Formats: sequence, structure tokens, C-alpha cells
Amino acid sequence: MVNFILLILIYTVIYSFMALGQNVITGYGGMLSLCQAGFFAIGSYTTGILTVKCGWGFWPTMFVGMFIAIVLGILIGIPTLRLKGDYLAIVTLGVGEIIKNVINNWISLTNGPMGIQRIPMVKVFGFKVNPYNNKFGFLLLSLCILLLCALFLHRFIRTRNGRALEAVREDELASLSSGINSTVYKVMAFAIGACLASIGGSLYSVLTLSISPGTYTFMMSVMVLCMVVLGGMGNLLGVILGAFIIQLISYLPELTGLSRVIPPQCKEILFGVILVVMMIFRPEGLLGRPKRQTNFMSDSKGTVLLYKAKHVCSNISSLFSNIKKGKGGKA
Amino acid sequence: MLQEFFQHFINGITLGGIYALVALGYTMVYGILKFINFAHGDVLMWGAYIGLFVYNAIRTTHAPGAFSVFAFFVAMVVAAIASAVMGMSIEKIAYKPLRKAPRLAPLLSAIGVSYILSNSAQLFFGTHSRKLEYPFDNSPIAMGSISITPHQILILAVSGITMFALMMFVNKTRLGKAMRATSLDQDAASLMGINVNNIISLTFAIGSALAAIGGMLVSLDFKVYATMGTMLGLKAFVAAVVGGIGNIPGAMLGGLLLGLLETFGVALLHIPLGFKDTVAFVVLIIILLVRPSGILGKNIREKV
Amino acid sequence: MKKSLRLLFVCTFVLSVLFVSCSKKQDSSSSASTSNAKDGAQVIKFGFIGPLSGDYANYGTYCRDAALLAINEFNSSRSNVAGFKVELVDIDSAGDNNKALAAVEKLSSDKNVIGIVGPVITSETFVVADRCQNEGLTVMTPSASHKDITNIGDYIFRTTISDGLQGEVAGAYFAQKLGYKRLASLYTMNDYSKGLNDGMTLSFEANPGCKVVIAETCNIGDKDFRSQLTRIKNSNAEAIYIPNYTEEMAQILEQAAQLNIKLPFVSGDGFSNPIIYQNAGAYTDGVVYVAPPQVKETSLYSDFVASYNKATGHDPDSFATNMFDATNIFLQSAEKIVKDGKVNRSSFRDAVASTKDYQGASGVINFASNGDLVANQGIYKVNGTTPVFVGEYKVLNGKIVEAN
Repeated sequence: MVNFILLILIYTVIYSFMALGQNVITGYGGMLSLCQAGFFAIGSYTTGILTVKCGWGFWPTMFVGMFIAIVLGILIGIPTLRLKGDYLAIVTLGVGEIIKNVINNWISLTNGPMGIQRIPMVKVFGFKVNPYNNKFGFLLLSLCILLLCALFLHRFIRTRNGRALEAVREDELASLSSGINSTVYKVMAFAIGACLASIGGSLYSVLTLSISPGTYTFMMSVMVLCMVVLGGMGNLLGVILGAFIIQLISYLPELTGLSRVIPPQCKEILFGVILVVMMIFRPEGLLGRPKRQTNFMSDSKGTVLLYKAKHVCSNISSLFSNIKKGKGGKA
Repeated sequence: MLQEFFQHFINGITLGGIYALVALGYTMVYGILKFINFAHGDVLMWGAYIGLFVYNAIRTTHAPGAFSVFAFFVAMVVAAIASAVMGMSIEKIAYKPLRKAPRLAPLLSAIGVSYILSNSAQLFFGTHSRKLEYPFDNSPIAMGSISITPHQILILAVSGITMFALMMFVNKTRLGKAMRATSLDQDAASLMGINVNNIISLTFAIGSALAAIGGMLVSLDFKVYATMGTMLGLKAFVAAVVGGIGNIPGAMLGGLLLGLLETFGVALLHIPLGFKDTVAFVVLIIILLVRPSGILGKNIREKV
Repeated sequence: MKKSLRLLFVCTFVLSVLFVSCSKKQDSSSSASTSNAKDGAQVIKFGFIGPLSGDYANYGTYCRDAALLAINEFNSSRSNVAGFKVELVDIDSAGDNNKALAAVEKLSSDKNVIGIVGPVITSETFVVADRCQNEGLTVMTPSASHKDITNIGDYIFRTTISDGLQGEVAGAYFAQKLGYKRLASLYTMNDYSKGLNDGMTLSFEANPGCKVVIAETCNIGDKDFRSQLTRIKNSNAEAIYIPNYTEEMAQILEQAAQLNIKLPFVSGDGFSNPIIYQNAGAYTDGVVYVAPPQVKETSLYSDFVASYNKATGHDPDSFATNMFDATNIFLQSAEKIVKDGKVNRSSFRDAVASTKDYQGASGVINFASNGDLVANQGIYKVNGTTPVFVGEYKVLNGKIVEAN
């Protein structure tokens, strides 16, 4: 049972990498991305291929994976990040599906649907960390890396770059007019997010020691998004908490020993109910966005109202003109 | 070669017609509430199940013929009404409290609803897929080496008619006008005496009814099973966005385009068909990069 | 924010302290593991891992029900004589490797669990088998047919035939008995389907003049196969090989008929699922497929089908039949070790490995030294909507011969 609980904690940590990445993209940068699973796959497969086919050690492959993810993130980011909201979501969804599809079909490189087996275990200072018998060691190892990443993000968001990124999220036009090149910061956020997911992927392949393309589904990306929103966007601890809660729910029947009593579908239904109820009662997530002195939205209520009124008036007039002109088709 | 081309074309527009019909529901909800209704595909699945049961109950053992066609359309109407009620209740329970919440909250709520719907269907109806028997003789009509089946024609016809009716409704009726007004600006619309809540309910009702019709048609081709809505919903959503989300002709165009891309894109290039999703998505991404608001979407300039 | 980071730090610190203290204890705890099982000889548990929800739920529930059936029969009839009861601990993997791996941890922590029937899906089995080998848990999969699975270790067995073997018989039969020279294939890009296709292609093309002229692929979850079929229609193939999952094959058969494709279809063991006749009953006539052979002499198979039907309301597929046999072999081996008084995981493995000429519902079962099933393949030809057993075949020196 100890091993089972430890494994759930390890999953939490590994998903946390993806969730932290999603947090940089969505929480800090305000972009809706749905391809964390794709970058996770890149990390996994880089480690898998380089260790099995080329005999590398784990650590260099992790950095190669990070590098590939960053480059890919930049390459994808530059043209696509000028898209807004849901259009961006679709493009990233497409990117995730393309990565999965290519991995599944590029047989000479990735072994296709057969996946890669017998990935060697990770070594730290010459000691093998066996993910089977030494779950504690593996948890500790991944937690240390997670901590480093969290520290980095914690610093990052306080730097000039981090603030610029948040400014772009709050009001892109205003930040553009204050001389912030929004594309640079968006691409930066995207690349960081991709890189973090890739680290998680590398660790994942030395955890399971066998990878196959069926793991990196669209639902995985959705799950990661759920973790971030559930825990609280922009809140590092919240994101990790979100990852933990979602792992906990998905293993609830086994943890409580009720797997014989509850049909497996009920667990998923429960998950759905929790999501809906959570969003109704705490739409900002469990921990919410941390408050800071330098809040960009520190408008007093009055100015917001005034702005809203102005906005409504201008729209009524445009509404009339639009309907009169009969510019139909919009519903 | 030319015949293969035409065969692919027919395959493509059938698939595209299905995508288009499902995409309409997405696009309508998005136009008004500005959020992706992830549960749409699952409403479609429930609609298909309801339709299947009603159809089997009415038809019993009748051979394909006039009566079974009648049963099919009755089942379609019942399924559409049931789904409309379902869609409205989902909106009231899961989305309405979230109108003023952060943008991602209703999206997550929708994902939750989707989980509830698909897994409860699996719990109630089992895990295997069920066949919706053809209400008519479905032997293919051959034209040279090209063949088309009556059910493909039915799919295209029903999709076309529904889309046309929807366009008429939105553009020519008072309610449609109210809908358009709500989609442009909710506050302004309510100031003009439009009951925004009712309009939103109506949108969900129509969207879900369309989903049920789509579900019945899809079942003819793809069978009925609990996870049928997931992939279909995703594809339809992509179609809606590429066409320009919030735009009804755009959804149709996007759906047809996606269907054609999937069958054509790879079929004519000499790449393994496993790559067809890659080709389809690459083309879609390129389209979105050239036209960031979709093919028919209007590029709205931001104002300060 | 600072607080949260501090919390993370504290967590890491506490865990590392625990780690140091635990790693010392671990050595002592592992040696005591087997002694526990002796006291609990009254109840022996088998684990089950497979998809009970999600896209593959169908395959998982079929197999789970078969395992339950075997165990219930044992508990009601033989457990008094044998002196112990058996319990099935079934864990849903939802087709997700992570969940399958977690299931192993859960199962292996219970010392009364001495073996696992399943997993059902191949990629799951790869992940699970390696872990179980490490843990000393015997695994017997009813359906994971990838040729490398049993080579993971000596604790891994299966009651389904390896892809390589099924494909070999299929290819040789198509070329030598059916006389095809040009074959088309349409397979799914997953381990099961591709494995069968690769095995068949290798064996088929070894015959002079025989060639797979067109090999089309589709992705998991595809429902529309018209593009692939249109391409195949315009090739000069004589028959189409479709080694897919049942529901996909129903789609393929129906859409092929709609495209006016008159070519005969040949298939693999996925075709043994009766769902195919429900979903594509009008198009199954004449299909030839390779699957585990039926036992003609004994009534074991028909008895199994009858009781399975009574318990679940539908007929079993070949995976469920394999699962029934796997569970029964486990039960028989458990009886043996209880009789010898050596109830632990390693002697259970030895008992399973020593299985000889077991008369199961799917035929006579023997294991090769690597845990692979040694068996002939059955050839079936569908007449309308009923499969007719043609015979048992094996390949000797590249030639297909009828067994027995």
C-alpha cells in the first residue's frame, strides 16, 4: 500500500511539471494552450530513444529533450501566438495531435505503436534509482527537480520579463503601447511551458521504463488544464495541489478499497461532478491567484462602472447599425 | 484515377456534412456565450441513444420501408426534443452560475458535464456499440466504379435542410434577430428589452436539438456508443473554429472542408493514411495563420 | 508565494528524512514478505487489470466476466475439496498505462495476491509485465499478443498466441490454401493490429509470387475507412486482410459493401467477437479468419459459452475464452501449491509453468519455456452469421499443415 501511495505521489509530481508549464502559459501569460501532452511526449521520447537506441545516460537526454521542446515551442509559438483565445486553443490542440500522430506513424524513429521498452533506470551519482523498489528515492529525485523548477518560476515572475508577461495578459494593447513587445514574452512563456512539460516527460519514461504513443492523448492536456484551473491559476502551490487532487480522485476507488463496490464509471462521474461544483462555488480555483501590491487591475469600482457604461452605449449604436444593414449570419 | 477522385469527393462531403451539422451547435453556443461547450458531443451521444431506443420501440420488426422511415423521423423528433430539454437544463445548472466567472471556469464546468454524461451513458447502456438499423434499403447506387449509398444522400440532405432552416430562423425571424443582438452584446441587448436568459436557453435548445439530429445521422454510419461524442465533438469544434466560430455558414464550410481534407488530403498525396490527421491539422493551422479569425470570421479590430 | 515555496521545501525535507529512515527498514521488511501468505491460505486472491471504463471498456469487461465466472465456479464446486477460496481483485485501468502501473502497486502490496490475470491491452501489458517480473507476481494475459511480451521474464505467461505465430499461420494459409497472390491489408496503427499485420506480411511474402500489394493504415478511434477502402478498391488485390478490433472491422465490412467492393475479407482473432454479427451481420458471409481453435472432442467450449451466456447475457469473444482458461490454470496451480503447503508467489509461478496439456475451453494448453502459448491456430469461415470451424493448422518449415 505504501508503494501505491508513493506511486500516486510520483504521478502527482510528474503531472505537476506539465501543470507548472501550463501555469506559465495560461496562468501567467493568459493563453489557452492544449498541447502540454505533446511536449510531454517529446520529453518522453527523447529520453526513450536516446537512452535505448544511442545508449546515453538519462541526464543529458533530459537536457536534449528540454532543448528540443524549447526550439519547437519557439518555432510553433512565433507564427501562432498572434492568434487570440480559442483560435490559439485550436492551433495548439492541432499541434498536440500532430505530435502524437507523427510519433505513432514515424516507425523508423519511434518504433510506432509498439512503443519503446527497456528504458534504463536513472542514475544519480552512480546510484541507480529503481522506480520499482525504490519509489521513495524516485519521488525524492523528481520532487527535487520540481522544486528547482518551482523556484525558477517563483523568481521568473518577479523579474522584468515576468512582469512584462503579466502585463501582456492583463491588457495586451496597453502593454504594447508601453513599449512591451508582446510576441517576445508570449513566445517565451510558451517555450518555458513546453520545456517544463518535457522535463516531466523525461522523468516519466524512467518511471515506467516503457512508453507507447497511446499515453499522450488530448485528454491528458485537458486534465493538465483542469489541474491548473482547479488549483488556482498563477499560484504555484495551487497548481501542484490541483495535480494532487486530480490524481487522488482518479485513484479514489483503489485507495478506499471500494473498487469492487463502485463501478469504474462512477469515479469518472464523480470527477465530473466535482469539476462542475468546484467551478460554481470557487471559479477562481482552490487557492486563487495570489494577491500582490502591484496589481494591474487595481481600478476602483467607479471607474469600472463608468467604463462599462461607455462600452454599452457604444455597442448599442453599433448593434443597431449592424442589424439594420442586415449583416446576418451571426448567432 | 478520375473515378477514384470522385469517390473520395463523395466520401469527403458525407463526412463533412456530419461534421458541419455538429459544428453548428458549437458555433451557436460560442456566438452567444463565448465559450466552448465541451459537452456538446456528449449531448449528441445521448440524443443518439434516445433516438435509437425510440426508433427500435416504434419500428419493432418491420422490414425497411415507408413505416420504418416514418419511425426514424419520429425518433429523430423525439430525440431532438429530449436533447433540447437536456441542453437547457445543463445550461441552467452548470453554466448559468458562471456567466460572470473567469473565462476558463465555464470551460472546465463543461468538461465536467462531458465526463458525467459520457460515463453515465456507459454505466446505463453498457460498453458495446449498438447498430441503428437502416430504415430503408441501403444497397449502394453504382455509377461506373463510383458508388454512393442512400444513407449518405440522407445525411447530406438532412444536414443541408437543417442548416438552411437555421439560417432562415436566425436571419429572418424576430427571435433570430434577438439572438444576433444577444451575441453582439448581452448588456445592450437586455437594455433593448430582450430577455437574455431566454435567448440563451433557446440557443442551447436549438444547438442540442441539432446535435441529436446529427447524432441520429452519425449513428447510421458510425454506430451508437458511449464515447462517440468525444472525437466527433473535437473534430466538429475544429471545423467550427476554422470556419470562423460564431458564424453559421462558416461552420458549414469548416465542416465540409475538414471532411474533404481528411479523405482527400492524404488520399491523393502518396503518404500513408495514418498521417491523415497530421495533414488535416497542418492545413487547418495554415488556414488559421492566414485568416486568424477563421475563413468567414470577421477580424475584429481591438479598440481601447 | 514565499510561504508556498517554504512549504514545498519543508515537504521535500520531511520526505528526505523519511527516506533515509525507510531505506534502512526496507531490507528487513522485504524478507518477511512471503511468510504472511501462509497464514492467509484460506483466501487466495488473483488480481485483474484491464479497461473497465473508457474506449476499450468492452474488451476489459468481457475478460473480467470470464475470470469471475471461472472463480465463481471454483468457489461453488471445488473450493471445499481444495480447502481455500479464491477472490478476484479487479482494477480498472481505463486503457491508461499509468493506472495499470498503479494497479500493480495496489495488488502487489496485498500479500494474498499471488498472480494477475490480464492485463488486456498490449501497451498496458508491457508496462505491467516488467513491474510484475520485478515483484515476482505471475502474469497471464489473455490477449496481449505482441511477440516480445513473454520475453520480458519468466513470470510472464499468456493464453493467447503470439502475433508472430498467428500472422505466420494466417500468411501461409492465405497463400497456400486460399491461393491468393496479391493481398491488400488495412490495419490500425496500434501494437495489436500492426503486430498481426507484420507477422502475416512476413509469412505471406515468403511464398513465391505472393505480395501484399497495398498496406493501408488507420488510427485508433477512426470510424471512417472509406478513403483507405477506395484506394484498395483501385488496387489489383485479390483479398483484404483486416486484423483489427471488432467494432472497426464491422465498420470496414459495411463501408466496403457501400463502396461496392466485392473482394473477400480475411481477418484475425478480433473477428471471434459475436458483436461483429450484430453490427455488420449482413456483410460477414464468406469471411475467413484465424483464431484459437475450437475443441471438437470435448464439450468444454460449449459448456463455457453456455455458462458465460447465462452469467452475462451475451456470448464470449476469443479473449474471454482465453481469460477463462488463464484463470482456470491459475486455480489449478493454486490448488497444487496449497496441497504442497508452499503458498508463495515463486512456487505459484513454478506451478503455473509446470502446466502440461491443460484441457481448456480454447484447446489444449502448453507453455513454451518463455511462457508463450504452444498451440495450433484454428481457421474459421463465416457462413452467413455463423463461423464454421475449418480446421487446426500450424506451419512446418514454411508449409501450412493441418494438425492432428
